[in-house]
Order: sequence, then C-alpha cells, then structure tokens
Amino acid sequence: MKKKNLLLARRLTGRHASLWVSVLAILLMLVTAGILLLAMGKNPLAAFRSFLQGCGMLPKENYGGGSGMLTDLLDFLNYLAPLILASLAFIAAFKAGLFNIGISGQMMLAGFTATVLVGYNKALSPVIAKPLVLLIGLVVGGLTGALIGYLKYRFNIHEVVSTIMLNYIISYLTGFFINNNYVDMMTRNSRTCTPEARLTLTNVMIGDLKGKIPLGLIIAILVALLVSFVFRKTVLGFEIKAVGMNRRCSQYTGIRVSRIILLSMGFSGAIAGLAGVAYYLGYTNTIIPKSLPGMGYDSISVALLGSGSPIGALFAAVVVSIFQQGANYMSSSIGVAKEIASLITGILLLFASCGNYMKFRAERKIQQAADLAPRSVPAPAAGKPGDRGVKTL
Amino acid sequence: MNKVFTDGLSFALPLLIMAIGALYSEKSGVTNLAVEGFQGVGAFFGALAATLFAPLIGNGNQAIIYIAMVCAAIGGALFSCIHGLLCIRFRANQVISGVVINILSVALTAFCTSAANAAISGNASNKFVLDVSSKFTVPLLSKIPWIGGLFTDMYPFEIIIAVLVVVLWYLMNRTRFGMRLRACGENPQAVDAAGANVTRIRWMAVIISGALSGIGGICFAYSLLGNFSPSIYQGFGYLAIAAMIFGNWNIGPTTLACLAFGLAKSGGLQLCIAAKLPSNYTDLFLLLPYVLTLLLLIFFSRKNHPPKAAGEPWDKSKR
Repeated sequence: MKKKNLLLARRLTGRHASLWVSVLAILLMLVTAGILLLAMGKNPLAAFRSFLQGCGMLPKENYGGGSGMLTDLLDFLNYLAPLILASLAFIAAFKAGLFNIGISGQMMLAGFTATVLVGYNKALSPVIAKPLVLLIGLVVGGLTGALIGYLKYRFNIHEVVSTIMLNYIISYLTGFFINNNYVDMMTRNSRTCTPEARLTLTNVMIGDLKGKIPLGLIIAILVALLVSFVFRKTVLGFEIKAVGMNRRCSQYTGIRVSRIILLSMGFSGAIAGLAGVAYYLGYTNTIIPKSLPGMGYDSISVALLGSGSPIGALFAAVVVSIFQQGANYMSSSIGVAKEIASLITGILLLFASCGNYMKFRAERKIQQAADLAPRSVPAPAAGKPGDRGVKTL
Repeated sequence: MNKVFTDGLSFALPLLIMAIGALYSEKSGVTNLAVEGFQGVGAFFGALAATLFAPLIGNGNQAIIYIAMVCAAIGGALFSCIHGLLCIRFRANQVISGVVINILSVALTAFCTSAANAAISGNASNKFVLDVSSKFTVPLLSKIPWIGGLFTDMYPFEIIIAVLVVVLWYLMNRTRFGMRLRACGENPQAVDAAGANVTRIRWMAVIISGALSGIGGICFAYSLLGNFSPSIYQGFGYLAIAAMIFGNWNIGPTTLACLAFGLAKSGGLQLCIAAKLPSNYTDLFLLLPYVLTLLLLIFFSRKNHPPKAAGEPWDKSKR
C-alpha cells in the first residue's frame, strides 16, 4: 500500500508532473461523478457510456436515416473547434498572469459583427466570405482584448472586473440590436447566416451518411501550434511568460510590461474572436440574444486541465467536450438532467485547480519517506523543494 | 421621482451586504471573486427552504422570508467553505478559485433546482416560485420632500440589512477581532507574531463573507426577481466587488457606491418608462450600471489601496 502511494507521488513530481496531475484530476472527477450518479440511483458506467455514445465514440443502439456514428463524431468535432480556440484564448492571457474571464463576451461580439457584416450578405462568394469572417473575428476580438489590457495598465482596473462588465454590456447591446433588426420571428433568435459565410460545411455526403465538416477545427489546430510556437521559441512569448511570473522583475530587466499586457490581452481577445466566429458561424449558425455562451467559462476548465499548455488544451478540450456534447443523448437515454454536464465540468475544474497542492503533497511524501529510510528509498532528483508556491506555466 | 429612490434603495442594500461580504474576505487577505457564486447558492438554499416550509406555516405567511434568509446565510456560509478550503488549506490561486466557485455554483444550482423540483412536485422546472416580499411605508419620514421615496414601500429586509451593516462596521473597525482581521490582510506575519491564529481568522472571514452574500442573494430573489432561477446570476456579485473597489475597501464609501449603483439602475429604468420608449429599449437602460461601473473604475482605481497581502496564501515560514 505504502509503496503504491509513493509511486503516485513520484509521478506527481517527475518530468511529466503536469500530465499526471491532469490524469489524477480526471480520475477524481470520474469517481465523484460516479458517486453522484449512484446516489441518484443510476448506473454510472451506463451513464459514462452514453456520454461517449452521444459523441460518436461508441455505437448507439439505433440510428435514424442518413446518420450514424460518423455523423455524431462530426457534430462533436464541430463543437470541439470553438472550445479549443476559446481555451487557447484563455491560455494566451493566463501566461501573462491575466485572467480573461470575458471570452464569452468577446466571442459574442465577434460572432455578432461577423454575422451582420458578412453572414447576411448574399452577394459574397464563399472564397471571399469565409476568410473575411475569420478576419472580422480576429480584429473585433483583438480590439476588445486590447481595450481590457489598456484599462488594466493605464487605469489599474482588475481585468476580471472589467471583462465581466464588458460581458454584460456586450450581451445587452447585441441583444438590443438583434431584437430590433435581425430577429427571426419564429425562433426569437437572430436570423441564420448564409451557407457561403458559414465555417461549417453542412449536409456533406460521406458514403451514405450526411455530415458536417467543421473548418474551424483546422484553424483551431493551426492556432494551437502557433501559440505553442510563440511561447516556446519567440522573444515575445518569453517576455509574456516573464511578466506572468514576476511583473516587477521583468520591468527591472527592461521588458516593457505595459506593452506586454496590451499585446497578450489583444492576442487573447483575437483568438477568442476566432472562437466566436467558429461558434456562431459554425456550430450554432444563429445568436440567442442576451445569452452568453457557456463555452467561455468551460474554456477555463480546459485551460487549467491542460495545465496551461496549448497542446495539452487540445486533449483537455476533448475530455470536456465529451461531457458537454454527450449530455443530450445521456439525458434522453439515462434520464438524468443534462445540467449534470456543467456540474461535472465544474467538479473537474475544482480538482484541476488543486494541482499545485497535489504536487506539494507528493513532494512532502517522498521527502518523508527519504527521511525515514535514507538507504532503501533514494530521494528523487526532480522536484526542487520550495517551488510549490510558483505558478506552473 | 419617488419611485427612483424606492427602487434604488431596494437594489442598493442587497448589493451592499454582498459588497461588505467581499470586503471582509479581502480585508483578511483572501481575494474574493466568488461573491457571485456565494449569493446564487445562498439564494438557492433560501428558496429551497421557503419552498419546503411554506406549506407547513401556511402559504402567504411573510415569516417565511426570515426563515429563507437564515437558510440562505447558512447555505452561503457552507458553500464558502469550498473557497476557504481551496484558498487557505490547498493554497490554490485565489483568483482561479473564485472563478471555479462561480462556474461550479451556476451548474450546481441549476442541477439541484431541477432535481429538487422533480422530487417535490414531479415537474423538473428550473425555478422556485417565491412571492414578492410585502412592503411597508414609514409613516412620517415618507412625507419628507425629495428623499421621502427612500422610506416608501420598503421591504422588511432593508431594515435588517441596515442594522447588519452598522453591526458589521462596528465589528470591523472597533473590535479586537476586526483589527486582527484587517491586520491579516496587511501583514499576516505580524498577526502571527502577536499570537493570533491567521488561518482561523481567514476562515472566519471567508465564512462571514459567504453568509452575507447568501443574504444578499435571497433578498434579490425576493424583491427584484420574485423567484429563484438561473437569472439570479446577473453579475450582482461582480457589481458588489466593483462597489467595494470604489469604496477603497472601506465600509462607508462602499455604501455610497452601492447607493449610486442602485439609483443609476432605477433612474435609467424610470427614464425609459418616462420617455415612453418601446420595451426593446429597456435593454439599453439595463446596461447603464455596468457602463457606469467601468467609467467610475477608470476614475477611482488608480489611487486605490487594496489590502497588501490579499491574494497571497499564508505561509508561516516565509520571511
């Protein structure tokens, strides 16, 4: 028993510590969710299986005409694309020590602008419309993000408060314009945009199955690689990380902190804008007025679960999407309210945010074992003592 | 004109009690962005208690509000323990913890509300219907010209909150506990050296913060909304935090900031009604408090003095 505990402790302090923390968080989440489901008198294994079935990862019992496992999988990928982008947006600001809670608002504003300017314009050909949508997303999101960065360094307004205020302002403002000018009388949402502008190709026949091809996913993976490159290989990325670790020290070494704050928030906003167009002009194809996308908050779970790494976020997004996207099918087949998906994401976030504490405990455990039996259990080389308070970047 | 003062006050006071909740936590050195979550969960517990107890003491009996307020305070306090656990025990990043709490609370209350409704009435609706609290008018004071509106159509909870605010001010500024609490936010090492228990003081501050936010939440549910539903998450908690920042982490100025918010909100709405604009335009006026917040923050944030140790986990061995 004791030996097994130490094995886990080694994992949590070793080279791939962040990965193991995420794995542990997911396991703890599954156990908690399982207990919750058991308490409600449901079979947790059946519930988890139906989550996977809803995402096209396991076959369902029966399918309607023209749909199959591949259809569900493509729907899942269609949802995954904006989530990856949104979590990359969070990471871009997080590296500079900033919390972009306003991803939802930035997504909505970018999606709204692109819908109004391009989505309703029937004259544009797809070759022009689709890049234009992306460009509008980048610019609108980037400007919103940069505004938050400006308020932060010029007026010392905490970014969490200003982004939340902007979220509500954007939500009410776009809601007002949609209700006044662009409302679809039947659904009370905004009118759907043209297929030329949409970033998801719908009704594509693959064999005898109808499916959606999400172009946003390609963009999401490209952006993930780009963000990863920027933080690994460029001066800008290094400076952003330095500011995130110690703002004063970076100022002392000659980094222009104000410029970095502005840039990283702009960078983050621009990616959030891309997420917004991928969501509103790809996944939903319509805007529900005054309802901010919950994805902006799920992206925080994804980023924390991926321990702030862009490539990690790709995999973490899959985990979170399975629960969000599979919830509908799970709800209809098992009969648990689909709100449980958000609850599971919240629990996951709770465990993921304790990552540093897990590492700290693991270090202590190894240290204690080494103190008790210095010969039989060699002290590990990795995991410097005293770095437990440092944020992992 | 009177309506502006009446509605403004009934919005400002629940906001104020939440702002003071945030203030207690931050003064003790625990950054608290979780007010939004606390108030929602507190309101959930209050509304659940009201739904459960209403048939027992007779429907329409106003005493239910006081039961709901007590339960909301207890529920908020219990839920705030998660924030305490993450920030104080597990030394997680306090801003992340606040965001986690807010996300978790939205999901938790949505899920529990439909589960509880399914268990009670068999209908899995996402709201608890509450009555709007009864109102009363103070006899003489309401006749004062101009500010008479402040004393017209008051909710009973406004009096409770006003009394609580005075008590909380006294506790913070005139007692030994309050002094130590403030010192924990500035220099916890000094408090430790003086022989007080920093961890315990911070825990108490966070729990007080949760209880106060819960009271604020149930007051909104009973006055502004008339029910408990996901619409309780309208950013009131963040408005409260913004009010606390204007108030420079002091109870007096925070009160003024909350009153300003309340009057801006009700004034905007009355202006919209007076101008006879179509109902679509109310959205434009609803965003007034948020715009006002941003503008005021621009003017007031620069020379602020937040508690020095807020956001840092307490480490006894640190020099």
